[in-house]
Amino acid sequence: MDEIQDGLTQIDCDILVIGGGTAGPMAALKAKRKNPNANVVLLDKANVKRSGAISMGMDGLNNSVIPGYATPEQYTKEITIANDGICDQAAVYRYAQECYGIIQELDEFGIRFQKDQNGEYDVKKVHHIGTYVLPMPNGDTVKKALYRQLRKARIQIVNRYMATRLLTGEGRIAGAICVNTRTAEFLVVRAKAVIMGLGAAGRLGLPTSGYLYGTYENASNSGEGYAMAYHAGAGLANLECYQINPLIKDYNGPACAYVAGPMGGYTANAKGERFIECDYWSGQMMQEFFDELQGGKGPVYLKLNHLAEETISEIERVLHIVERPTRGHFHAGRGTDYRKQMIEMHISEIGFCSGHSASGVFVDEHARTTIPGLYAAGDMANVPHNYMLGAFTNGAFAGLDAADFIADVDFASFDQSEVVAEQERVLAPTKRDDGIPPNQIEYKTRRLVNDYLQPPKVTAKMELAQQRFEEVREDMEQGMYVRDAHELMRSLEASSILDCADMAAAASLYRTESRWGLYHNRVEYERDDENWFCHTILTKGDDGKPAHSKKAVQPYVVEIADDEKDAYYNQRVDATVAAE
Amino acid sequence: MSALFEEFDDIADLAEGLDDPSAGARIMAVMELADSADPAAIPYLARAISDSDAGVRKQAAQALTDFDGPETAAALVTALSDSEVDVIAAAAVSLTELKDPAAGDAILPHLDDQDEVRLTALLAGIKELRRPEALAPAIAALAHASPSVRMQAVGVIGWLQQETSLPALRSATQDKDVNVRRTALSALGFSKSASAQETLVDGLKDPEWLAREAAAETLAKSGNDSCIAALRAVLDDEFWQVRLKAVRSLGKLGASEAALQIAPMMDIPVPNLRKECAAVLGELAVAETAPFLEKYADDSDPDVRKNVRWALEKIAA
Amino acid sequence: MPLAQTATTVPVVVNDDLCIADKGCTVCVDVCPLDVLRIAEKADGSKTAYMKYDECWYCMPCEADCPTGAVTVNLPYLLK
Repeated sequence: MDEIQDGLTQIDCDILVIGGGTAGPMAALKAKRKNPNANVVLLDKANVKRSGAISMGMDGLNNSVIPGYATPEQYTKEITIANDGICDQAAVYRYAQECYGIIQELDEFGIRFQKDQNGEYDVKKVHHIGTYVLPMPNGDTVKKALYRQLRKARIQIVNRYMATRLLTGEGRIAGAICVNTRTAEFLVVRAKAVIMGLGAAGRLGLPTSGYLYGTYENASNSGEGYAMAYHAGAGLANLECYQINPLIKDYNGPACAYVAGPMGGYTANAKGERFIECDYWSGQMMQEFFDELQGGKGPVYLKLNHLAEETISEIERVLHIVERPTRGHFHAGRGTDYRKQMIEMHISEIGFCSGHSASGVFVDEHARTTIPGLYAAGDMANVPHNYMLGAFTNGAFAGLDAADFIADVDFASFDQSEVVAEQERVLAPTKRDDGIPPNQIEYKTRRLVNDYLQPPKVTAKMELAQQRFEEVREDMEQGMYVRDAHELMRSLEASSILDCADMAAAASLYRTESRWGLYHNRVEYERDDENWFCHTILTKGDDGKPAHSKKAVQPYVVEIADDEKDAYYNQRVDATVAAE
Repeated sequence: MSALFEEFDDIADLAEGLDDPSAGARIMAVMELADSADPAAIPYLARAISDSDAGVRKQAAQALTDFDGPETAAALVTALSDSEVDVIAAAAVSLTELKDPAAGDAILPHLDDQDEVRLTALLAGIKELRRPEALAPAIAALAHASPSVRMQAVGVIGWLQQETSLPALRSATQDKDVNVRRTALSALGFSKSASAQETLVDGLKDPEWLAREAAAETLAKSGNDSCIAALRAVLDDEFWQVRLKAVRSLGKLGASEAALQIAPMMDIPVPNLRKECAAVLGELAVAETAPFLEKYADDSDPDVRKNVRWALEKIAA
Repeated sequence: MPLAQTATTVPVVVNDDLCIADKGCTVCVDVCPLDVLRIAEKADGSKTAYMKYDECWYCMPCEADCPTGAVTVNLPYLLK
């Protein structure tokens, strides 16, 4: 295993789904059910059984819109406010209307949502206005249940192939070029439609532990989706709106305010006082967190030691079994106990992920990108505050729309020389006798991301980052060296990570204002609604470098009253006072 | 190049591995049968439940999680009588994953089993299948010596939501085990009847706070005006968790007469409780409570001051 | 320039007495999202799974899905 072999196979399918995590399987299932004659292929660089952000499961839904607990209007309003107004509401509103149907469907798959003693959904309150949190008592079986459905639907599954570039022709999508992660053999897939569900760019910043794979996101989510969309010419929106999360320090896993919050747990400063004013998981909240950490009142902690024993046992049961089960081992190793002391928290490395922010490949309410026939859903698409249920629901939208799209088209022709060029690019590091291994290219890129791109953002630092990234790119293109197919996969990931780092710097420099709290805190600029109440769209320019444009925010579907806007601004002012 | 696509092998071919002399190879066959997700695999897995090797039996009990229906349920019921606890535990988990009501056919005849572990698992399995025939055996199981059996029995009854089961649930709220009592109190939430209300009101006087909390919480779901006085009576409960649920339920019931009793609770140094009090005072919007709230407009706890601001706006409106 | 051999302690440990790789089992290798496990042949010709690449997200499918309980996921030293 792992020796580099020659080989190229070409296959045809109607719909190619890249990414077997959350959005991808749902897209494949929906497309296949809508058009049972369609040939649907689901491809993953890992194994669909356990791939993606929810590899080990998920402890609950953070954004369920269930009749009787929240309305689509209310949800849309809150997400718009949490994203500082930069939000095309149509996609959010459609999600809010249809996600309950997806919950019921997942329930039929065998994924359990918490029910009360009468068998009715037991929704918990986190946000002030609506109630959106629905725990999943057997959340550790999510992937298993999905896999079962894929097998039943006879979806064609291809494991351990990594898509490296999309193919386009005739102004639309034509397929993808993929490489086997254990043999380096190539696979060219001709497809009438391609759905991307490749997850976050989670290996962008370097965790403070210094361990390359100790990231918040599943470390296999290294940003291929963003890089492939970019090179294919699709538009990417608001990439300057980074994802940064409050986490258990060093373990770098979620503190799970959504689990502990409804049970009375909260984030506290060194004095044990609650300090976060903001309701929503947002850049504003992260700014408050950052201020506390930097302002002499830190460290910041997860506080549970005021709760009753019964409550703590329940929290432990949920947090240590589902989503990141090694968390129990971590606390045991450190000798920390929720009953006895507060647990130290920190903020994560930066990344791209619409799961908790608003950046990503630009899509509309049908999950269509700016390239006809190309779709994106889940953490890599720009529907804000997606979370897991958003990945399922928007994945469903992509599958349904793609099933219609393929009815009217044949394969788009593409330039064969693109395949040859891509083979050369991919295999270049295998043709050298020595050089720089991919892990060093990756480490250096990510260390530079931390040094120069992490907010607060400073123009001169970001420009330095761009210079240094150029140097690393030169080293990568001229001197990277790999010895086997596994390292080849890592070299391709290093390339995606560098592309994402370039995009993060370019997008951040373009938006000359501050917005989204810490996510885009540019110290030299104030918020500027007059010039920047818009999306920024990044595309690949004719010179091969990022190009930028502005795109108007679509008229709101759900109006935000002035006093509600005021409430947000008031909160902002108070937060600053609180951070003094 | 190895096979590109995941294969859909013939089930009978996969099942041949179950006859391998090596237990490891038989475990492999069980896993492959599970991955097939093909119901044709069920009879083979059912057979593996009686394998000579405990590891194979455990893997088969786990594998049946991927399937449903009476045949699956019957195999799992068999596994509950295994000599190894690991096999029994795996079967018990798989039983709770059944969805198809028809699977209950294999469970119902065994609900007179008196073994604690088996009966707990069988009741947990039948609960979500909502089979009306399970009601009588579940009520009978309320007399079982084991609290875990009695708790699962209450669960079965609560999911069936039958008014006729109220006397049984009522007596379960007097159980000697607190977890049975709190489960029974929560299970009463489906009924808006006077009898259910009375029982919940009695539950507010339970000696254990967990039960009082369950009663106070459930009244937000099914209570009516007749419960307001009783909820007000627990506003000085020694546990803030109970008070918090009572405040929430009073807000839900629109009990504006309780507003002036809730307002002084803003002085209690428990942030979670004060936050809830402020929210409920906003919902009730009684002008006289404004001075109590104003004191905390600049509270050191951001959640409290945010709710206070919101409540004051509601009162002003 | 030859590459250096830098030692690193790996988080995933396999008990080769329990491992049934000999029977063709590759469950842990299959499910790893980062593809860091491989099957090795021991001196006596029998086989066992092991962690070949120190690139672990400590996510646990290998441990959870192992049919014989042979796999243990520890936290990487750098962050534990």
